[in-house]
Amino acid sequence: MIRRILRWAAILPLFVLLIGASGAPASASLTKTPIQHLIVLMQENHTFDNYFGTYPGADGFTAETCVPVNPFEVSNTECVRPFRIGDLPIENLDHSRQTFRLQYNEGRMNGFIQALNIRNQNGKLAVGYYDDQDIPFYWNLADEYVLFDRFFSSAAAGSFMNHVYWVTASPGRGRDKATPEGLGDLPTIFDRLEEQGISWKFYIQKYDPEVTYRDLVVGSPRPPQVEWVPLLSIDRFIDDPRLNRRITDLDEYYEDLRAGELPAVTFVKAIGSSEHPPGSLQAGQRTSRTMLQALMLSDAWEDSAFLITYDDWGGWYDHVAPPQVDEYGYGFRVPALLVSPYAKQGYIDSTELDYTSILRFIEDNWGLEPLTSRDAKANSLDNAFDFTLPPRNPRIIPSQRYLGDQGSEPNVTVIGISYGASAALAGLIVGFAVVRARQKQGPGSGLENESVGAQGEG
Amino acid sequence: MPSVEPSLSTARLAPALRLRSLYLTKLHYLELPLILLAAATLRLIALGDVGFNSDEAVYSGQAAAISGDEQLSQFFPIFRAHPLLVQFLTSLLFRLQVSDLLARSLSAGIGILTVLLAYAIGKHLYGRKAGIFAAMFLALMPYHVVVSRQMLLDGSMTLFAALTVYFLARYSTSQQSPWLYAAGASMGLTFLSKETGIVLLAAFYAFFALSPSIRVRLKDLAISMASMLLVILPFPLTLILAGGGGAATTQQYLVWQLLRRPNHEWDFYPTVVGMAIGPLLILVAALGLWLLRKERSWRDTLLLSWIVIPIVFFQAWPVKGFHYLLLIAPPIAILAGRTLGRWEAIRPRRSAWIGGLLAAAVALSLAIPSWNRTQPNATGEFLAGSGGVPGGREAGIWVNENSPEGASLMTIGPSMANILQFYGHRRAMGLSVSPNPLHRNPAYQAIRNPDFEIRTGEFQYLVWDAYSAARSSFFSEKLLNYSQRYNGRVVHTESISTVGPGGDSVEKPVIVIYEVRP
Repeated sequence: MIRRILRWAAILPLFVLLIGASGAPASASLTKTPIQHLIVLMQENHTFDNYFGTYPGADGFTAETCVPVNPFEVSNTECVRPFRIGDLPIENLDHSRQTFRLQYNEGRMNGFIQALNIRNQNGKLAVGYYDDQDIPFYWNLADEYVLFDRFFSSAAAGSFMNHVYWVTASPGRGRDKATPEGLGDLPTIFDRLEEQGISWKFYIQKYDPEVTYRDLVVGSPRPPQVEWVPLLSIDRFIDDPRLNRRITDLDEYYEDLRAGELPAVTFVKAIGSSEHPPGSLQAGQRTSRTMLQALMLSDAWEDSAFLITYDDWGGWYDHVAPPQVDEYGYGFRVPALLVSPYAKQGYIDSTELDYTSILRFIEDNWGLEPLTSRDAKANSLDNAFDFTLPPRNPRIIPSQRYLGDQGSEPNVTVIGISYGASAALAGLIVGFAVVRARQKQGPGSGLENESVGAQGEG
Repeated sequence: MPSVEPSLSTARLAPALRLRSLYLTKLHYLELPLILLAAATLRLIALGDVGFNSDEAVYSGQAAAISGDEQLSQFFPIFRAHPLLVQFLTSLLFRLQVSDLLARSLSAGIGILTVLLAYAIGKHLYGRKAGIFAAMFLALMPYHVVVSRQMLLDGSMTLFAALTVYFLARYSTSQQSPWLYAAGASMGLTFLSKETGIVLLAAFYAFFALSPSIRVRLKDLAISMASMLLVILPFPLTLILAGGGGAATTQQYLVWQLLRRPNHEWDFYPTVVGMAIGPLLILVAALGLWLLRKERSWRDTLLLSWIVIPIVFFQAWPVKGFHYLLLIAPPIAILAGRTLGRWEAIRPRRSAWIGGLLAAAVALSLAIPSWNRTQPNATGEFLAGSGGVPGGREAGIWVNENSPEGASLMTIGPSMANILQFYGHRRAMGLSVSPNPLHRNPAYQAIRNPDFEIRTGEFQYLVWDAYSAARSSFFSEKLLNYSQRYNGRVVHTESISTVGPGGDSVEKPVIVIYEVRP
């Protein structure tokens, strides 16, 4: 009897181990890939060419790129070559649906300047670009992780509709701007996540919980957080405390990371540092960098993916004609970068993507139903990852671009030879002294005697 | 004048005495190995228990850069203030592995060689007994033990300075010019170890000037100086030929050294270094000089020149360092050894036991503090050059294992920054480094606007340490303020066991790492 008890006692820990082992991958099996956390930061108003048109290896400007000043006037052959904006003053270029149509010009992609000129803006500015001197951090990210050069905005329109696509895979009410009627009960990706009990949060920089679509007044300026966060135009996300508490200030992102409570899906809107022209690009880079650093310093890094993209083209030039998948889009290409321990290193991904590709990835990864035909048909972000390799260790990406050798490194061979030769020379001189001394001393007379004999001197 | 050790006519001794003499002769063979064993024990025991201090980290970082270590070469430029002989020798070891223990073992080895040399000099100048006592005193001397246990340049400089003394002694006794050439070459190696060794040129001169009995031909002296210059040649040569801005950096160092403000009170050397050399030892050395004044010769002049000139120079120099005066350790030990070696001449009517007792007292007064110095410092305070920094290596290793590649750390001062860079392989910068180039070490970069740089994500960690905080409460508070302002969260703490007010053992935090974010 005692033996039997002992035998069971010996087996019991094995059971415990087996249960523990089977419990461990249970949480991992919730996702199709090792990605347990997806963070999407949506910035504002730039095209791919505007940020990465001169990035080596990407589909950017060519030597022939020259944008006609007025393609609608046959006699006007003047064109503008892309130029670096640098410190030139910029303005908020028009990026309405009408401007898109003129700039797109039935796929000729040549109306960028004229479309703005007719709105009394400096159309030539649209052909300007930034490079690694202006956005070094983003270029550094591209060097280290994944840069998408076929990432289109979902709608051929401005901010609001593209943000609606970002969370619902639909144009909403088809409006260009947030309106006092709101978005009704439009299903969002967060509803899908909620149904499955998968955690999510929508972090907003400088969030004011009191401001929603209900505060919009026709003819008055629209608060950016309403324009850029479609959830604030949907009643249940405003009124249901369970949902509403998931819309929160960006500061909580850092607290959640430190507490190990980063949700599975995180959407972020940087209101104060969105890079929206004429806002500061540096401020936007700082926000992205701070968020990424916090992620890298946390335990969540090893199973996370962080995507930075832009909500629309902002009136800037881009040379790739966007495919027209339906009456709303696509819009022009926007910059997009993916940072993850599983992201391919220094990879330019040319898969055709748009904001609904983000939704597609979420749906695939967490096993959710698609919201609309758009996300059902969209390509996922899969190609940007390599899950066959172990996750990469975090690496703080510098805010400055590496500008090549600032000064040459000392030649260590010269140092080695010089000091080696010097030591050898000293050895030779000392050796010479010893040999000569012994020779002069003569055989049989030890050097020891010198000291004794000399003691009395002086 | 009788010889130092009158030879005994063993033929006339009785068989019993002959047996005793034979026994003593055999015992003599053991004296030096036993002394070297004691020297090795004190220099090697628990050598790696505590990690590098700032200077050690810098020299080892340079050595690693010379050996081709790409990571450390980012943080430690090869050309700084000093010539590179020691770093070059260490780099040969680092080709096997970059290791603090390996670097310190080389220093310890150099220290043991210096003990052997003290014996050789003592024996040559004053006889075997004096040599044995000199070696014993140097082997046990806390000052020499402490510095030999560190990867510093002073140990090597002292070895070659002592070698110069040895060659000068050989020249003086034999008048054979090759010994003078060898002294020149050795003098060159002294300089190549550390440029401050050049002050011994004045000692070189003083010795010949004050010793008229030693004849020197101008031609021999010229060849000796040429030997020295030839050996020194790699220093300017590498600055010019190796590139990397070495010449400019070294010039900046010179300016900085000339303009540095005093870092210790005027009585630093007499009190701190005097205690580390051993007051009793100094007393015995001085006693011998007085009591044996009738025997005064060029021998004493040679040793005194090697003591007085460095003391005068470094006392006058505003910047003081614990290890700077190591040069004087061997001559003092030899003079003390001479006192006891010639005890019979001092007190011929008294029995030898008084001399023996005095020797034992001196040895004991040196050995006990030396042994204590081999134990880790548990005070939480630190004097530069006096040993390793408890917790520094461990904090650096934590940084290496737990912080993302490319992370940057802000420390109170550059000393902790050096240690963290060596062990942590991450960029670290000291808050206290002055933005004025005239008031900072040219190798260091100032943090121009610390608040802004934390806010813009240039620093991810702030590191507070008790050692730097004790030196600069202002910058310590400033760093802690930044930590508070930027959501600082303690992510790692290094503590040491120390004795509390009630006599009980308490853990005292000496290094605290905060993670910060804007």
